Amino acid sequence: MRIKDLRNKKGQMRIIETILASFIIVAALSFVGIFAVSPTSPAYEMTDLEKMGYSALHDLDQQGLLAPIVYNLRWSDLRNILRITLPNDVYFKLIIYDTNGLAKTSDSQILYGDVNTFSEAKNVASITYCLVGIPKLNTNGTYEADYNPLILVLEVTRG
Amino acid sequence: MRNRREKRGQFIIIAVMLTAVMIVSIGALMHNAITYYKHEPWEEYSTLIGDIEINSRRLVELSLASYTNSLEPIGIIDSNLAKWEDDLIDAYPSSGIVLASSSTQMLSSTRTGTKTATSTAQAGFTLDIQSIGLEGYAFNVLTSLTLAIKETTAVNSTTNEIIAVVKSETGMPVTDLDATNFKVENATKISVGSFYDRTNILEYKIVYDGPANASVEVWDQRGIRVVSSQT
Repeated sequence: MRIKDLRNKKGQMRIIETILASFIIVAALSFVGIFAVSPTSPAYEMTDLEKMGYSALHDLDQQGLLAPIVYNLRWSDLRNILRITLPNDVYFKLIIYDTNGLAKTSDSQILYGDVNTFSEAKNVASITYCLVGIPKLNTNGTYEADYNPLILVLEVTRG
Repeated sequence: MRNRREKRGQFIIIAVMLTAVMIVSIGALMHNAITYYKHEPWEEYSTLIGDIEINSRRLVELSLASYTNSLEPIGIIDSNLAKWEDDLIDAYPSSGIVLASSSTQMLSSTRTGTKTATSTAQAGFTLDIQSIGLEGYAFNVLTSLTLAIKETTAVNSTTNEIIAVVKSETGMPVTDLDATNFKVENATKISVGSFYDRTNILEYKIVYDGPANASVEVWDQRGIRVVSSQT
């Protein structure tokens, strides 16, 4: 009778131990899961958007396309070239300032997407890029090459 | 015997707890290892440095163009670079950018006897970006345009032909020039064509009506001007 009781209790204990062990392992895995950053989390999204915006402006500048378009005030071309460079689902707004902080373009001049997209979006990355100027050919055949810095502020978000 | 059996149950729980601690520790370590690179926006840093480097180079070119077009004194390069250094601080207020230029030089000269003229500018830069812990990133900018008159031949009594070689600081020929980029002193009816040469890769043939030993001017697309005198 005693041995039978003991065997019964041993079985119960094993089940309780197993349940406890499962709880501990599940708790440990859940705790580790808190640290996991999924690819869609805001931490990655902002970094990705900033990376994309910086790369787009830097690549265009490196190829010698950005400065002539900006200094010749070809806003439509600038919008199109950014649309080609950035992925389709990325909306952008570019505002160009001089060094006194005066905007050379309006909010809607170099824009892809709706204006409300930027006010309603959760993640909007802002990128600053500087240009120094380009030489301009005068009518008398000489070049005028003045230092004329402009600051490009590009806002990007995903639609 | 009974006590041993009871202790065995405790041992399993202790073992499971140790396993849990190991899972948490390994998880934390792996998380740090995997996400460290992701959280550091290296590409942004390199792009920011790239922006400053490209535009510093462009500013040296602008200064040389301005100087060689005789619009500005030789000190224009130092003046422009000082403004650029200040403007960078304003453009990136939270980045702690400090750009310092040194050893600036600008020269426009003709090497006598060789019919070769060069306009050149150079500057050394040191960049600090405090926000990312970058200190003492050094880069040099050298920009130049060289014009060499290879030969001059008379086509007839009024028309002459000049073979010219135009090279940039890389030592490679400048390829995108046409008649609007050349000026020959006291000449009319200038026509310019380019052709392949085994030594110089690309040479320009300038045919013009005018004096035989006229000085030749050339501007590249950056606006840098160089004048070669044949006398």
